[in-house]
Amino acid sequence: MKRTKQLLGAVSSVALIALSTSPVYAAGTTAGDTITNTVTVDYQVGGFDQTEIDATDTITVDRKIDLTVAETGFIGRTQVSPNETRAVIEFDVTNLSNDTVDLALTAVNAAGNDFTLSNIVIFVDGDGDGEYDAGEEVTFLDEVVADGVTTVLVAADVPITATEGQTADIVLTAQAHAAGAAGLGAIYNAGSTSGDGDANTEDGTGAAANIDTVLADADGDTDGVNDGAFSATDGYVVVAADLTVTKQSRIIDDGVGGTFPNAKAIPGAVVEYCIIVSNGAGAATATGVTVSDVLPVDLEIDDTFGIFINGTVASGYCAADGTDDANSNFTDNALGTPDEVDGTLSDLAANATSTLYFRATIN
Amino acid sequence: MKTLSRIFGLLAVAAAMLATPAVAQSERAISLSGDVKVVKSVTDASGQATIEYGDTSVVVPGDRLIFRTNYKNTSAELVENFVVTNPLPSAVVLASDSAADLQVSVDGGETFGLLADLTVAEEDGSTRAANASDATHLRWVLDVIQPGETGQITFYAIVR
Repeated sequence: MKRTKQLLGAVSSVALIALSTSPVYAAGTTAGDTITNTVTVDYQVGGFDQTEIDATDTITVDRKIDLTVAETGFIGRTQVSPNETRAVIEFDVTNLSNDTVDLALTAVNAAGNDFTLSNIVIFVDGDGDGEYDAGEEVTFLDEVVADGVTTVLVAADVPITATEGQTADIVLTAQAHAAGAAGLGAIYNAGSTSGDGDANTEDGTGAAANIDTVLADADGDTDGVNDGAFSATDGYVVVAADLTVTKQSRIIDDGVGGTFPNAKAIPGAVVEYCIIVSNGAGAATATGVTVSDVLPVDLEIDDTFGIFINGTVASGYCAADGTDDANSNFTDNALGTPDEVDGTLSDLAANATSTLYFRATIN
Repeated sequence: MKTLSRIFGLLAVAAAMLATPAVAQSERAISLSGDVKVVKSVTDASGQATIEYGDTSVVVPGDRLIFRTNYKNTSAELVENFVVTNPLPSAVVLASDSAADLQVSVDGGETFGLLADLTVAEEDGSTRAANASDATHLRWVLDVIQPGETGQITFYAIVR
């Protein structure tokens, strides 16, 4: 007995289409691909093999819109200082659709922010320096392929009024649009799913006109399910310096035999001023800490003693240490005009304390 | 509460076409017809889930499909040793519930058996138990089909 095998012409071509099915992505079978199922039946009648017969059925895979946005880079709120400009946070935008899409991007202040971020700009860091550069800003991602991931950065300015511990977040939303045309294509959302009303001919040709669009995205932070959009939140926390300043004075020597603590505040007496600067616990390191003091008009700076900075504190008062700031930071004005003292202290870390002290004579 | 019907596909527009062999059936003892439906689980307001079979006008990755082949013995003779072989389209993966009790092949149709009895060779030479996604072919064997008898064979698969 010999089996005969007869393949129909139409079936052969269908089989070829089935063989050319695109590689399978995590996002799934590419929109427009066809699924052709062919069954083959062998059987016998009266003990004799009969001609094998086939049946086939072809369907076209439609467009499934799905995407995510997720914070990346530093996870959690990025530390910023008051008045910081172009502070950067990072997001990954992923196209989970089974087709290439355009993704429109918007970034806004999140609800409930402690302060309002300004100059929000979305950009793709073309030169990889982690900072916004003119020309890097984008409003949409063009032609993002299935499974394509794009890192999108957002920069914003922090107001000078922001204080320690305050937070502000940004919501980045990506909205799927049709790819293909130059620029941003037609939006894919519940009101506009291109092709949804078109009947599929299911002819296996994968004609674009027969590809429907199904929205299958999850709900992000501020968007809903199946709206063709996804949103995620990242933000900033202000870590400011928390400086406190105290100023004390002692009469060191009254010139008539009395010394501290028994000296009298009489003309000719020498007064020492002690300024203590402290930075709070958990605060950012304070840099460029400048102490300025305008003396009472009837005091004359003791320019021989000098101005000591970066000293320590003993019993709540400036210890006799630190370094003489080379007498360079005072202004010794003529009688009748207040003398002025300026000193720049070393950087002050959290919980650190520093001093500035100088002496003057009562006129 | 609102009705949820988002599991598989959304719109049902066009009726699925039934592909039938294009040659005359008169000389054949068997006629075949096949179709594919999208299987949706629809939950109504009371939380009651029902299974619906929708047309394939909208099919996206993750959808569950049922492939059905109807056969009929159109002759006056007994049909014997009826063997249906179905290569799985590459864009679908066999559903695990269908995989459990069908004769499957994981080697391109060379050998068939229950999935639980099959193994797959790894690239490093070791072998592991086959799973549903390894299935390449399905096969059904019926010893006898009476004259005029009809039947249907089905399997479920999920769009990759």
